[in-house]
Amino acid sequence: EDAAEESNVSAELIALRKRLVDEWNAWRIMRQKETGEKGELKQESEDKEEIE
Amino acid sequence: MRPILLQGHERSLTQIKFNTDGDLLFSCSKDSVINVWYSHNGERLGTYGGHNGTVWTVDSDPSTDLMISGSADNMMKLWQVSTGKCLYTWEFPTAVKRVAFNEDGTQVVCITEQRMGYQCAIRVFTINRTEPTKQSKEPLHMFNPIGSKATVCAFTPTPNVIITGHESGKVALFNVKSGEEIENNERAHGDVITDLQLSKDWTYCITSSKDKSARIHDTKNLMVIKTYTTETPLNSAAIAPGRPYILLGGGQEAMSVTTTSLRQGKFETRFWHKVFEEEVGRVKGHFGPINTIAVHPQGTAYASGGEDGFVRVHHFDESYFKAKPYGDIEIMD
Repeated sequence: EDAAEESNVSAELIALRKRLVDEWNAWRIMRQKETGEKGELKQESEDKEEIE
Repeated sequence: MRPILLQGHERSLTQIKFNTDGDLLFSCSKDSVINVWYSHNGERLGTYGGHNGTVWTVDSDPSTDLMISGSADNMMKLWQVSTGKCLYTWEFPTAVKRVAFNEDGTQVVCITEQRMGYQCAIRVFTINRTEPTKQSKEPLHMFNPIGSKATVCAFTPTPNVIITGHESGKVALFNVKSGEEIENNERAHGDVITDLQLSKDWTYCITSSKDKSARIHDTKNLMVIKTYTTETPLNSAAIAPGRPYILLGGGQEAMSVTTTSLRQGKFETRFWHKVFEEEVGRVKGHFGPINTIAVHPQGTAYASGGEDGFVRVHHFDESYFKAKPYGDIEIMD
């Protein structure tokens, strides 16, 4: 029984850690996309200036 | 992980900083001197002499051509890294507590202290890179942050926006052009913010505080992402690139340090898991509180500067890169 309880706890912990990593990675992907887009926008406006 | 001991300062360290490539380490101290060291072997490359008081802060530009420093002698100096020559000196009514370059090394932001009837001021200077001995004496922008004085600052990825940490524990975003406080988190910390370091892409930062905690904030909206609660006042916090760790340093106030801990070199750099907010290890060594920590930009080494006047550089062992203390999940930087 004890062993079963223990493995339950660690299963919970594993689930928690997985959730924390997923949240962290989701936030990182969002920010990286934004900075990537900003870079592209910058490039576009630079191109435009050249045409003008 | 045997440390390299850098002995070149006669008084406590105030800030240490790797250059972009990580081959050099700058250190500044209460002994009025700035040193630069080869990070791989700890050999001293040179000294930058000229300040007449505690050098509180140092930063190098992205190409390691220029270095900037701020001191208790009320001066900010621009230096040529390779020759040790002082290229330009700005003078203020009070001490310079923090300096930082922007992303391309064309601007510098600095904090001057509130003292003798002068308010705390934040100034942004344009750096003339083509003729570095000819700088504008006047700042491009200047403002006095409202409320609590600023202790630390850095540029963010958003143009003309800086992030600041304050004596009260506040973290804020300011528009440097208008001096307007765009966003703030009054309760980011419960006591003085002692350090602020950016992530590699500048989209987040870590702050340390005398309130014994460190926090990761989103530099876009100041959202608190993570909190690390320790049992000692913190002087510095750094982010380890490539591995999911943050490094914390601090210790008791010099006054309350017992002789036992002084003798044993008990002051530790604490490694915490960045995402799980759990402590994963400690590295002992300093004979007094740790004032400043810096991680190599490639994440291969770290250095700590202490109240004891020593800098300790640690190159990580193979095991550090292989260790997966919490399983096989990929954690993004």
